[in-house]
Amino acid sequence: MKRYYKNLILGIAVLSPMVFSFTSCSSYLDVDKYFDDVLTLDTAFTKRVYAEGFLSNAFEVMEDEVCDMSTGGLGGYALFASDDLLRMGDGDLTKKYQNGEYSASNTLTEDKWKRVYEPVRKATTIIYYIDNCKEMTMSERADVKAQAYFLRAYAYWVLLRQYGPLPLIPDAGFDISMTYEQLSVQRNTLDECVNNIEQDFLKAAMNLPAVRTANNIGRPTRGAALAARARLLLYAASPLYNGNEDMFSLKNYDGQKLFPEEYDEAKWARAAAAAKDVINMKQYELYVAPSTETTVIPPLNDTYSTLNYPDGWADIDPFESYRQIFNGAVAVSKNREVIFTRANDPENAFGDLLNLLMPFSLSGNNSIAVTQKQVNAYYMRDGRSIDDAKTTGDYQELGFTTGTDYDFLPPNVSLQYANREPRFYASIAYNGSIWECESASDAKFRNQQIFYYKDLSDGKLYNNADKFPVTGIGMKKYYNKEDFRGAGGYVVVKFEAAIRYADVLLWYAEALNELKTGKSYTITAFTGEDVTISRDVEQMRYGMKRVRVRAGLPDLADNIYNDPDAFRASLKHERQIEFFAESKRYYDLRRWKDAMVQENMPITGCNVDITKGDLLRQDFYKETVITTYPKLFLPSMYLWPIPQYELTRNKRLTQNPGW
Amino acid sequence: MENIKRIICSLFLMLICAFAVNAQTVKEIRGIVTDVNNDPLTGVSVFIKNQPTLVTATDINGRFKIKAGQYDILVLKYIGFTIKEVPVSTIKGEIVITMDEESQNLDEVVVTAGGMSQRKITLTGAISTVNIKTMKVPTGNISNALVGNVTGIIGRQTTGEPGENNTEFWIRGISTFGANAKALVLVDGIERSLDELNVEDIESFSVLKDASATAIYGSRGANGVLVINTKRGEAGKVNINLKSEEGYNTRSRTPEFTDGITYAKMVNEARTTRYQDPIYSNQDIEIIGRNLDTDLFPNVNWSDIVLKNGAYNNRETLSLSGGGTTARYYVSGSYFKEDGMYDTAQKSKKYSTNASYERYNYRTNVDLNITQTTLLKIGVGGYLTNETKPRMSSSDIWSSLSNLTPLTVPRMYSNGLIPTYGDGNTMNPEVQLSQTGYLTKWENKVETNVTLEQDLKSILSGLKLIGTFSFDTDNTNIITRAKNPELWYADRRRDSQGNLVMRRVKEASLMKQSSESSGQRRYYSELKLNYEKILNKDHRISSLLMYYQQEKTSTVGITDVVTTSIPYRNMALSGRLTYGYKDRYLTDFNFGYTGSENFEKGKRFGFFPAISAAWVISEEPFIQDNFYWLNMFKVRYSYGEVGNDQIASERFPYMSFITTSASYNWGEYGSNNVQGYRITTMGSSNLTWEKAQKHNLGVDLVIGNKFNATVDFFKDIRRDIFMQRSQMPYSTGLQDLRPYANIGEMESKGVDGTTSFTDKIGEVGFTLRGNFTYAKTNVINYDEADNALPYQMTKGYRLNQTRGLISLGLFENQEDIDTSPTQTFGVCLPGDIKYKDVNGDGLVNEKDVVPMGYTTVPCFVYGAGISLNWRAFDFNILFQGTGKSDFFISGKSVYPFIGSETGNILKNVTNPEDRWISREISNDPATENINAMLPRLSYGGNANNYRNSTYWKKDGSYLRMKNLEFGYNIPREVSRKFFAENVRVGFIGYNLLVFSAFDWWDPEIGSSDGAAYPISKTYSLNLTVNF
Repeated sequence: MKRYYKNLILGIAVLSPMVFSFTSCSSYLDVDKYFDDVLTLDTAFTKRVYAEGFLSNAFEVMEDEVCDMSTGGLGGYALFASDDLLRMGDGDLTKKYQNGEYSASNTLTEDKWKRVYEPVRKATTIIYYIDNCKEMTMSERADVKAQAYFLRAYAYWVLLRQYGPLPLIPDAGFDISMTYEQLSVQRNTLDECVNNIEQDFLKAAMNLPAVRTANNIGRPTRGAALAARARLLLYAASPLYNGNEDMFSLKNYDGQKLFPEEYDEAKWARAAAAAKDVINMKQYELYVAPSTETTVIPPLNDTYSTLNYPDGWADIDPFESYRQIFNGAVAVSKNREVIFTRANDPENAFGDLLNLLMPFSLSGNNSIAVTQKQVNAYYMRDGRSIDDAKTTGDYQELGFTTGTDYDFLPPNVSLQYANREPRFYASIAYNGSIWECESASDAKFRNQQIFYYKDLSDGKLYNNADKFPVTGIGMKKYYNKEDFRGAGGYVVVKFEAAIRYADVLLWYAEALNELKTGKSYTITAFTGEDVTISRDVEQMRYGMKRVRVRAGLPDLADNIYNDPDAFRASLKHERQIEFFAESKRYYDLRRWKDAMVQENMPITGCNVDITKGDLLRQDFYKETVITTYPKLFLPSMYLWPIPQYELTRNKRLTQNPGW
Repeated sequence: MENIKRIICSLFLMLICAFAVNAQTVKEIRGIVTDVNNDPLTGVSVFIKNQPTLVTATDINGRFKIKAGQYDILVLKYIGFTIKEVPVSTIKGEIVITMDEESQNLDEVVVTAGGMSQRKITLTGAISTVNIKTMKVPTGNISNALVGNVTGIIGRQTTGEPGENNTEFWIRGISTFGANAKALVLVDGIERSLDELNVEDIESFSVLKDASATAIYGSRGANGVLVINTKRGEAGKVNINLKSEEGYNTRSRTPEFTDGITYAKMVNEARTTRYQDPIYSNQDIEIIGRNLDTDLFPNVNWSDIVLKNGAYNNRETLSLSGGGTTARYYVSGSYFKEDGMYDTAQKSKKYSTNASYERYNYRTNVDLNITQTTLLKIGVGGYLTNETKPRMSSSDIWSSLSNLTPLTVPRMYSNGLIPTYGDGNTMNPEVQLSQTGYLTKWENKVETNVTLEQDLKSILSGLKLIGTFSFDTDNTNIITRAKNPELWYADRRRDSQGNLVMRRVKEASLMKQSSESSGQRRYYSELKLNYEKILNKDHRISSLLMYYQQEKTSTVGITDVVTTSIPYRNMALSGRLTYGYKDRYLTDFNFGYTGSENFEKGKRFGFFPAISAAWVISEEPFIQDNFYWLNMFKVRYSYGEVGNDQIASERFPYMSFITTSASYNWGEYGSNNVQGYRITTMGSSNLTWEKAQKHNLGVDLVIGNKFNATVDFFKDIRRDIFMQRSQMPYSTGLQDLRPYANIGEMESKGVDGTTSFTDKIGEVGFTLRGNFTYAKTNVINYDEADNALPYQMTKGYRLNQTRGLISLGLFENQEDIDTSPTQTFGVCLPGDIKYKDVNGDGLVNEKDVVPMGYTTVPCFVYGAGISLNWRAFDFNILFQGTGKSDFFISGKSVYPFIGSETGNILKNVTNPEDRWISREISNDPATENINAMLPRLSYGGNANNYRNSTYWKKDGSYLRMKNLEFGYNIPREVSRKFFAENVRVGFIGYNLLVFSAFDWWDPEIGSSDGAAYPISKTYSLNLTVNF
């Protein structure tokens, strides 16, 4: 017996440490303690820094895919895919876009579908979680939430503009554990999309502040939300979307037609009222620079030369007024014309754009070309078109300047480029224009007159195919006379005016023009009161005249205002000039359904095979078809194809017509 | 779980307290133990069954005495002999017990799950066992001996580099495309590594294949389990075992490259046949042929320069075992060294950069009887390895061997400068080997385990409680000493004075050193309650209840990602219940209730049950009466579920992780950049382990105690395989989060079997044996987009099936090209490869890529061997082979001139008869052979010809003579003079012959271009001395 007790004690002594080495089961597998100080979705939004960080990260898409003015190709190639501007090199992308060499399985650089739904989801997450952030005050939370609404709506709008009706993400978002079947959502109708996006813009507008300080100038404001809404409604009223027979065949998975079948004029009225909401804020005005005596001065005009802006241009310099919006001369926070801007980082795409447009001999890439069509669009300084001026002999195709005969023009410049409106000189680097490059340390780079004749260093002969403007016409917009990228030089920081007031004014005029004379609509404004909208010429003039006078051009004649077709033509013409190289024309031509005509015209320019010493130097300016950039536009191209990779993922997605 | 744990603990304490007296009459037994020739056996351990603590050993005359109760059973155990059991009740006076030498036997004991041993006849699950003797091959890693030796294992060795030359293997093939398809390896019951284990230390080796065998490992056992137990001491005299092996490794098939002239001529042909100018003039070829310009036309055979024919390896092992009634021990130590085959001898460095691998293994297993019923087992084992390698990785060196043409650069320019080509990072292999430094890798591993066995027969006869605790730790340090010489390139011309025009491509960098390290530790605790009893002679009952918990933590290499420091933890309660009636009707129930830290709270535990049953038909009386020669005929079936918790490379996939990310700038002039945050991984709810449903039907047959066969048919359906969801529609905005989900499903079916025949003709004893394993997989569900071309989907085909275009041979002429579907990869000429337009759209493009053939990892593995012994001689041969394996060859050495100036040409492709040569070059229409091995040559790559297709698909199957062994036992009269019990000298030839349809390099390495360290061929002499 005694031995067994001995055994027992020994056994217990040896075994018991083992037993107690088994810790409690439930805590053994518990890993929460390791994650206590680590961010999770629930904890992240309780802290201001993370909530702000989420918003910052969600907006990041504004710098690339959503940014129309990005030159890296990320924002799509709209800038170089229309009939006004070309970019050489870059893997012949411009040619591919211009010539319609894309399809559902080859979307070139256009990957908005892939990337732009991401901010939609991120914004939805922020909207859902932001109320957890007790570190923020109620109004701060409301602001963040409103910014998220703005982002979501903006991202959707960018997608809508590209692809047409979209599948919308439910407000609660998707549960990631859903089956692919459940995640395959079909496209909503155009009206549902527009409605949804408009509601988001309105929610944003309710809580966004009207003004931002300089260090938050990139955040949306109430004006930005209202302006973006006005643009959305204008698009929805435009011919491409409003009763467009060509789109009736587009159906969703269930067979429902996605485009409205009836033309609805009231949509124009709502668009006009929305633009009016922005105008009524009385916060924005077109940018004007005080008059100087050294630049392009409009001809003396009995009315406009004596009156101050906006009734005339007596106190402003139209050339500088237009140019300074784009060349960085004025800070965006000091510019009342800018309603929404983004990509304010000095390293952003504008630096790249400037590099592209600078002549090769001035350390640039020399690879932006402006089409002859765009050059011809600019008015003469007296407001006549070049065709009108030709009949009176004021527009001359032959001959060169001597350097003293025309103010502002150096010698040896084609007379084609004489006596044009101020916006021409602010936008176009014609053959022989002067590049100041004031920041260059070496004097030989300053104030150079740059020619694109074949045998010169900026011409065809000495540069490979992507290092000279194939049309013989370069671009000056976005160039500041101080800019120089070579030794000693610097580049003035520029801002993108994503939405500027000039746009709002022209939307207003455009929308009003489309209303039948005599018909009026009562619409509830953003402020809550009812407004009456009708084709009121004075209201149309309010929009159109401001833009033209700022540019040093007289207002349109009354007979044009009274004729909807004539006014429409003038308005389109005005937009083509005013918004040159702002990625607007690409989308305008599509929403107007003008692309079939406009984008099937061959691209023309100068004859870049002519050398400087050629006896027939004149021939350089003979309009020549640029065969290396063929143009092709098919009816299917009004909407982009939905990428093939998405169609294989989402079984319920229906492809756009013709793809 | 908390409750269960409490119950176990209290049960355990209760049992300990409940010792009781169990009295029976004790008598002393005397006896002599002999072999069949009546020679006495010394050192046989004799003990009482179930009481390993009551033990003695026979003396030099084979005599023993032991005290035993009248109902006890005496057990006799001796290495090389079958265990013998003698009931005490049958013993009268001094007895003579004859022990039989070990052979295939019904009473063979098999180690099963939980480290328990079970007689083979009572098994109901699918378990393969291996005779350790057959695994004693002269390689550094025991894993190399598995394939062809062990039924149910499919694997391949992909490199022969010392220290890296192990075999990647899977039990019954790869049955999941989830993150972890590897088998669980248990050494002494603890999850440990198989590599680096000293084969001499292994006592038993079992492979648990079906669900009933692995169920108690729950969520860890889905891919099968290897159970290895190390040797322990036996009571008796000191047994000293000395073994010395001296081997010589040579390279097996190594790709051979062509000489400069053939190369230059082929370059010219490749250029001219595509209407380009030739590169080498006739004068150049003359210079090459006469070796006139060693700088610009060097004509070097790089393989000859950097590779030796062979290298030595050796292993010395010493083990001691023995002990007495209170303590027994097994102590061993071994040293293994293997040198690499790089020729670095003549290089002017004071250090060697050749690959070499050294390993010191040690192991001490001690068993102590603390009380008559308490046994303490302590095991300490481990190793230390020391490895040296050239600083450039072996893949760099081998790829530069296959990249560098004989004419690219010389070994050294005549002006003493060191050459390079390309961008300067590409050097000739000799420079890579000798001029870029070296690295040393040092690894140390210590494995300790303590087990306490308490016999509780005082409470209940047959009840035993076993507790184990183990602590393992390992550390690896790598110190790299890197340098670069100054590198130059000579343009292929000379200046007016005839000097080389040299260009310095890269500056020298002095010797710099850096280090990296990794390490981990593992705790493991286990408590087992085991009960075994035979009731009324006929009813055999056993049960096992096991609780364990395990923790593995990285100790080095912790990054700022939190998950890298969090221990991997498992815990489980598992059990087994077996019932057998007359060893005739057997049934088992197994379960594992296991938990893993990898899942969210409330979802951490899973229950994995398995049932199995067997009918031993041969035990039926009518069989025994009528078919006396049928020793065993058993049919088994099992079904069960097991799991896999290591499901993704990412841990805690249920959690969302938020990290800093791209930012946006709100302010003017970039004045307000707010740091962005985003969700980088979105946690998925409802995640669970991968589950396997396994069926196994097996038959065991023993005829006349000579013929033995086992065949198992299996079916493994793997569900809930974890995958990152890659097919989220972008319109959900979730695409960038790539959440995980239990989506995948696949099926793996197959059969494995083993057979042997043992007999004696005259004095020659022989055994014929063979085994095979075949597995076929079918992916049932996979996260992928629907494809209008079903054959382009993973779903519905073998996992990792080779895919490519179907080649229809070579184009005969232009008309053939014009009338065939358009091939979209580039302009085709006659002699280029013609492909099949599978989808019939008139175009040959990526849409015509179809699954074909098998997988690179073989689907079928077999082994066959013969053992002979005649008097003191023994002979053993093993053939091993694989079948149903395909791979594509590609790359610079296979596709001639795909890399223009780089890309050496294999000798195998230089024979003009093997390629299509246009009549314009050969002036002979017959050379336009449309059945040639190579298409029309091209220079700088050919997108049409050089792509995966049946044209380049090779059969990966092979048959190798894996092992050839002779042995001679020196007569005992001679050996006794040296005080040795037994002396054996032997020769092993390892991997001496390989037969395969594809013979450019060893197909087992699965390399597409042969640029890999070849598997070695070894001749080894060994001497074994037992004292």
